[in-house]
Amino acid sequence: MRASRPEPHTLAGAFVLDALGAADRARFERHLTRCEQCAKEIRGLAEVTARLAGAAAAEPPPGLTRRALAVAARTRQLPPLTPDRPRPWATRHVSVGGPAGRAMAWRPRLAPALAGLMVILAVVLGLAARGAQHQLRQDQLHSHAIAAVLTARDAQMISARVSTGGTATIVMSGREHALVFAARGLSALPPSRRYELWLMGPGGDKPAGMLPGPRNGMTGPVLASGLRPGDRLGLTIEPAGGSAHPTAPVIALVAL
Amino acid sequence: MRYSAPPRARIGAATTGQDHGTPAKTSGCRCRIKSVRLEGGRVPAEPGAGTCDAHETELAVLLGRVACGDRDAFEAVCHQIAAPVFGTVRAVLRDVPQSEEVAQEVLVEVWQSASRFDRDRGSAMAWVGTIAHRRAVDRVRSERRSAQRELRAASHTVAYDDVVERAEANLDAERLRRCLGSLTDLQREAVTLAYYGGYTYRQVAALLGVAAGTVNTRMRDGLIRLRDCLGVGHEG
Repeated sequence: MRASRPEPHTLAGAFVLDALGAADRARFERHLTRCEQCAKEIRGLAEVTARLAGAAAAEPPPGLTRRALAVAARTRQLPPLTPDRPRPWATRHVSVGGPAGRAMAWRPRLAPALAGLMVILAVVLGLAARGAQHQLRQDQLHSHAIAAVLTARDAQMISARVSTGGTATIVMSGREHALVFAARGLSALPPSRRYELWLMGPGGDKPAGMLPGPRNGMTGPVLASGLRPGDRLGLTIEPAGGSAHPTAPVIALVAL
Repeated sequence: MRYSAPPRARIGAATTGQDHGTPAKTSGCRCRIKSVRLEGGRVPAEPGAGTCDAHETELAVLLGRVACGDRDAFEAVCHQIAAPVFGTVRAVLRDVPQSEEVAQEVLVEVWQSASRFDRDRGSAMAWVGTIAHRRAVDRVRSERRSAQRELRAASHTVAYDDVVERAEANLDAERLRRCLGSLTDLQREAVTLAYYGGYTYRQVAALLGVAAGTVNTRMRDGLIRLRDCLGVGHEG
């Protein structure tokens, strides 16, 4: 039985309190990208949680800070997100290149970025164009979630080489806590093996989806959600059934 | 309140007014300390509102330096946030060794993603609190999946009594306590169970025996009332 689906707007409180399950949260985050008023409300309500956290303050165990400092000293920091203010899609700068996403360098690299975007759009459109197959409905839902990432105001594009061959293109949105992965030219695998995506963060490695087989040299798009700050995207070749933890060398690793 | 008394000598120099808007003097770092937006336009809801502002401004400035890789600034940040971070995580997880582990992850995440803190989108403490709470909740939910339904064992009155009543005596905690007291019982329980108990609104609904839809509207109404009572989070 499906639980009832509440009006997204009423979920603002539960969202701020981290009281949404994964599905509700994903819906609300999609809603947020379209609702400036909600985003404003969320910011105000988050200040209340700061006070709730303050009231819970308790003496930390001795050495907590010292250990955190030690770990921090060997932990690379994340680059800032796109420094330009979010703008409507029509005038948005797509930042590309390494994880640093250097703001000054976007102009010369816009062409490859657009090419990458075209790859993903082509795959999405390809899905939609597959016509009246029974999978279509599922595909449409999937495509909708993918479109939410591609059109997110903070969408950022990254491309990376896969060490065993091929190029991966990733569009990620911190706001959507999700990314869309597509690749072209990946090496063919025996039937017993498949490519698997991972979100690799300070909290451990989380499976982020198996890649489907290629069509016309293109793989994906695959949606990976539940991004946490600090996560990196990894790709490995795993047994066809998938693995709970990476069992093979990482063949692409992208800082998000 | 312990966390509000960081070692002044260490961070005082970096956070005096003259520093605002001038380039950070960190080795080889071109980061600038972002100009501090003073909170002069805010109308306090009551006398004494905004006592957190000084620490807040300080924390935001420090995070700007942490983003540039300044380890001294990070240490100062840790001194300010370790207590609320650890306390929040422990409120949700209960288990002390596990809370310590998660609190450490939170501090490291603050180091890692300091560059993503944007003061135009909220206060530094709200940003830190969000990271801490989300990590604690992620941890507790992944565990509850395996140990389903010890849910009712944790008496739901514990959240409020434990955390809010025992909060150290100070002006901010006192005001929060009073503001929580101005909520309806259902609003208060919905907010504290979700925040300190780490429950989803559907679980809260099951615990309180009311419809899920009612719970999520009460959470929102409750937070809005708290926001207005505390005099925080108003823009412009």
